[in-house]
Amino acid sequence: MQPVEDQIYVIIFATLFLGGLMSSFVIAMVFIHRQRQVQNRQKLDQIKSEHEKTLLNIENEIQQETLSYVGRELHDNIGQLLSLAKLYLGSSKPEKQSEGKETINQVISEVRALSKNLNLDWVESLTIVEFIEQQLEKIESTGYCKTKVAYEFELGDFPKDQKLVLIRVIQEVLNNAMKHASPDLISINVKRFGSDRVIEIKDNGKGFDTSLESDGSGMFNLKKRMETIGGDFSITSSVGNGTLIHLMLPN
Amino acid sequence: MDSRFSQIYLEPYFILINLLLIIGLIFFFRLNKDERTNIYYWLPFLILTFTVVYEDFAGYLVYNYELNKWVNEILGNEKNPNYNVWFYNFANKYIATALYLFLIKTWLEPAKKKYITWMIFFYFFVILFLTGTGIEPVYLGQPIIFAIGANMILVGSGLYFIGLISNEKYLESNPLRLLSFWQMTFILFTYSLTYISSVSVTYLYSVNKQLGMSLFQIDWVMGVLNLSILVLTIASPKLPGIFEKEPYYAAS
Repeated sequence: MQPVEDQIYVIIFATLFLGGLMSSFVIAMVFIHRQRQVQNRQKLDQIKSEHEKTLLNIENEIQQETLSYVGRELHDNIGQLLSLAKLYLGSSKPEKQSEGKETINQVISEVRALSKNLNLDWVESLTIVEFIEQQLEKIESTGYCKTKVAYEFELGDFPKDQKLVLIRVIQEVLNNAMKHASPDLISINVKRFGSDRVIEIKDNGKGFDTSLESDGSGMFNLKKRMETIGGDFSITSSVGNGTLIHLMLPN
Repeated sequence: MDSRFSQIYLEPYFILINLLLIIGLIFFFRLNKDERTNIYYWLPFLILTFTVVYEDFAGYLVYNYELNKWVNEILGNEKNPNYNVWFYNFANKYIATALYLFLIKTWLEPAKKKYITWMIFFYFFVILFLTGTGIEPVYLGQPIIFAIGANMILVGSGLYFIGLISNEKYLESNPLRLLSFWQMTFILFTYSLTYISSVSVTYLYSVNKQLGMSLFQIDWVMGVLNLSILVLTIASPKLPGIFEKEPYYAAS
């Protein structure tokens, strides 16, 4: 074979080789795409089912708390009012009887208010800002500690599933602060860090070592919950220096 | 009609590409104003029009020997005044390659677009350096410039395919129904199949002109296929249900 002929063959085979290589590359890419598409769908389904599970757990927790609250109210408030009404209505004095009727009316309105708490419709009508203010008011009314709230921007409303998670996480963070930190002041700031919207919850209580595992599991749950709605959770604390929590809100 | 003129322009390649330009023009001007000003449609239309116009003009340079000779003389080529390589270098190697890089850029996810911009700058720097220093005269085949341009196109295609298998938006779509996938596949094939023949074109013409011409027909076939995909891209709003919306349509 002549050297020129050899070179021509090399050119032809190199061209065919490159063509074959590119065909294999494109076909491989399509196959990899299909595989990843299936994996991605499975991952999305898993995330979706985890999200649904988290929401269900949160709804159950809120309902449990509501039932305990209703039970307490029935025993401590409505039960007392009904006993009082029975006493008034049993009296022969007309003014006592009218007081008894007024007490019955009070019981009716208390029962109406309680019944509203039994389903989760209140979540729809309540904004996160209103919820925060309600919770801080409750803490102040018990005389446990002082509270402060500040907003850098209008928080707006959230879809029901996001609101449920946020309500539960805020409630849990505030409960933890009251249960473990014994603070003089709890403050909530709604602020922006760059493009991130953040709810900052701060207390000046005992603080704790965040590296200790026993303290970390509850925080891990809160972080996971925030992640299911596309947000994030971070905590900064050390013994004697209070606790700072950032709830990064979903966009 | 002059027989040489008709011999050049009645080649199946010229007839096909001019027909594609007419179809492209019809579909482009049937798009609404918003679509016409969207890079997703006007860039393929620009490449289609530019390619057909430069191919027609290159044919005209073969027909008009005097004009070709005059330009070759200005560029310093007195040995082969019938070569229209200088024009192919400008139109095909420099501008068309850059336009294809811009087209690839429109298909990429936003974070990867900057790589293409750097490549285009680097490519023009290389062209200026190699032609300015006379390493690759503008009136002869420029294998180094072609190889660098082709490699950039191949890297751009690689970036697209990496996005295709890793980006969530691409993973939600069916690649066989994405025009960008077919466009990238044909660009990849065009540049890889013509890589060897284009780099060795001067050698092939000197030892076996017939084989050189045959290998060049691959370029023509791939050229027609590429232009057909460009026409399909322009016509895609009028062909609902066939193709899926591109994931980076809004971002581009």
